Amino acid sequence: MATTAADSPLIQRHGRHVELEAAPTALLWLGTNAAVTLGDGRLCWIPDGEDAQPVPVHGGAILSACRHPDGTAIVTGGDDGQICRVSPDGAVTQLGHFPRKWVEHLAASPASGLLVAGVGKEAIAWTRGADAPSHRYAVASTIGGLALDAKGKRLAVAHYNGATLLYGTNPDSGRVALAWTGSHLACTLHPEGRFLLTALQETGLHGWRLADLRDMRMSGYTAKTRSFSWDRKGKWLATSGDAAAILWPFDGKDGPMGKAPLLRAERKGALVTQVAFHPKDEVLAVGYGDGIVALARLADENTLLLDTAGAPVATLAWNDAGTRLGWGCEDGRVGILNMDARA
Amino acid sequence: MAAEPTIPVTVLTGYLGAGKTTLLNRILSENHGRRYAVIVNEFGEIGIDNDLIVDADEEVFEMNNGCICCTVRGDLIRIIEGLMKRKGTFDAIVIETTGLADPAPVAQTFFVDDDVRARASLDAIVTVVDARHILQRLEDSHEAEEQIAFADVILLNKIDLVDAQELERVRQRIRAINAQARLHETQNCVVPLEEVLERGAFDLDRILEIEPNFLSEDDHEHDDAITSVSLRSEAAIRPELFMPWLRMLTTNQGQDILRLKGVLAFPDEEQRYVVQGVHMLLDGDHQRAWKPEEPRTSRMVFIGRNLDPATLQQGFEACAVRAA
Repeated sequence: MATTAADSPLIQRHGRHVELEAAPTALLWLGTNAAVTLGDGRLCWIPDGEDAQPVPVHGGAILSACRHPDGTAIVTGGDDGQICRVSPDGAVTQLGHFPRKWVEHLAASPASGLLVAGVGKEAIAWTRGADAPSHRYAVASTIGGLALDAKGKRLAVAHYNGATLLYGTNPDSGRVALAWTGSHLACTLHPEGRFLLTALQETGLHGWRLADLRDMRMSGYTAKTRSFSWDRKGKWLATSGDAAAILWPFDGKDGPMGKAPLLRAERKGALVTQVAFHPKDEVLAVGYGDGIVALARLADENTLLLDTAGAPVATLAWNDAGTRLGWGCEDGRVGILNMDARA
Repeated sequence: MAAEPTIPVTVLTGYLGAGKTTLLNRILSENHGRRYAVIVNEFGEIGIDNDLIVDADEEVFEMNNGCICCTVRGDLIRIIEGLMKRKGTFDAIVIETTGLADPAPVAQTFFVDDDVRARASLDAIVTVVDARHILQRLEDSHEAEEQIAFADVILLNKIDLVDAQELERVRQRIRAINAQARLHETQNCVVPLEEVLERGAFDLDRILEIEPNFLSEDDHEHDDAITSVSLRSEAAIRPELFMPWLRMLTTNQGQDILRLKGVLAFPDEEQRYVVQGVHMLLDGDHQRAWKPEEPRTSRMVFIGRNLDPATLQQGFEACAVRAA
């Protein structure tokens, strides 16, 4: 690919930078209003064209965040053990408090109304509309990642030596134990719930085809995979952890078994840290360890430079309409790209 | 982008009741101008409330990296990454381990995980030893011996509870296991904290001060399973011979080698090369220039089981530049 740091990045023409004074830990969208959670416990709202509006939420760092299932607020988890709902008007409501624990994982589904938090060795669930925990599931070791399918019913919990599958809306859910030696740090479920993929400490992915629990190995990464993104059809899974965005095919019943991945937006000597599929088009946004952000088209090798080098890209997300892309770098730089403005 | 300096990490080990909590409370309460994030195994034992105290789970897991003895602390990887999100709010990290913990997984975590290595570095393992009970502990506990073996700094605590003869026996016993660690004799863990925390390169220099084989055979009244071997060479060491030798040694004997450290003079190289290892894992780098007055002596220290000093010395010498 021809993209270099010397090209004029698109953000200079069709976007803006916002400098925040702490490390962004997540960026999420409500319409065209970006919410950036920070390492100093604040959440910063960045409405379209307006100044950043910080809201103090947690005592320490915000470690996890997701959209509230009702779509009108952000849910945050902190190293102060609190789980909070933060509205764009600045209102903060506590949904749970687990003293001396870190809330490192959150997942939510608008379809089922379920909200799930990973707190130590427990997955804690709030059913639709609940403002206090409804039920909880214990696993044998600390939770490394949570994932819900598109219906928001199937819940996957990654942990040491494997993962556990549950029905998150059912307090008496049966469970499927999926064993694989090692530390599983993150997970994602295929939107239709056909496959579960986890990221391993030793790098690479482990996968299970859920119809027959067949194991899959996807290796060759130089660093741990921390970012997953499914395209809108569930055909491709984009992953971070190498010099290129690595895209695994999931269109057939065998998923990526026996197939080669697609590599996009490769930059020699760089490391992809974040990936985010456009919600409508076959376009992938890619963030790197050196602060570069680029857009890659699946159909060809073309890429477009969005932002110049800086600190590692820690978070990257499109809004639902696909009209805004936002990213946050570890030094507090936030980039907002406005696709409406692109003539 | 220039690499950011890493956060120094001190690991605190020691058998139950040796005085770790006393030392931790001093670190947390004394006015030393430094801010420490403290990772503890039992929050209840610490009498101080501070939002930089984190509970650990001591979750050890095996790596699938082809290294048969490689276990790491998954909770530490997680906690250190989480703490780094609040960077700027603390200067260093102290990790307390339970009395029964094997120090290897803690140390290996800092060798194995790339993200941890990029952000934090193992500064020193500090072991608190109860002078009155240690000889008994060494008889009945494998962990007590390993904790001494792994130490960079040993606080021989509660010395007021033993007489001079007993103290001397304890000293000798510790030295037989680990000749390299800096030993402080204390009551109530009273030692200047700068002797314990953020030691950095100071303790690497320590291995240059050790006389090889300063323990004569008859010091070994106990047949300790773990011993130290010190090697030295006045002649420069050839990296093209030394690196393969060290790799072979750790591949074949890694399970027995608990710790190794070295400061090496390579021919025509202005920089000191420092190497350290835990079991099968090695890490080496150029550290700083040799000072003009500094003798360019190369030194290695091995601490472990079934170490044969003669074979190690022979292997090391074979890596040296031969006199013309």
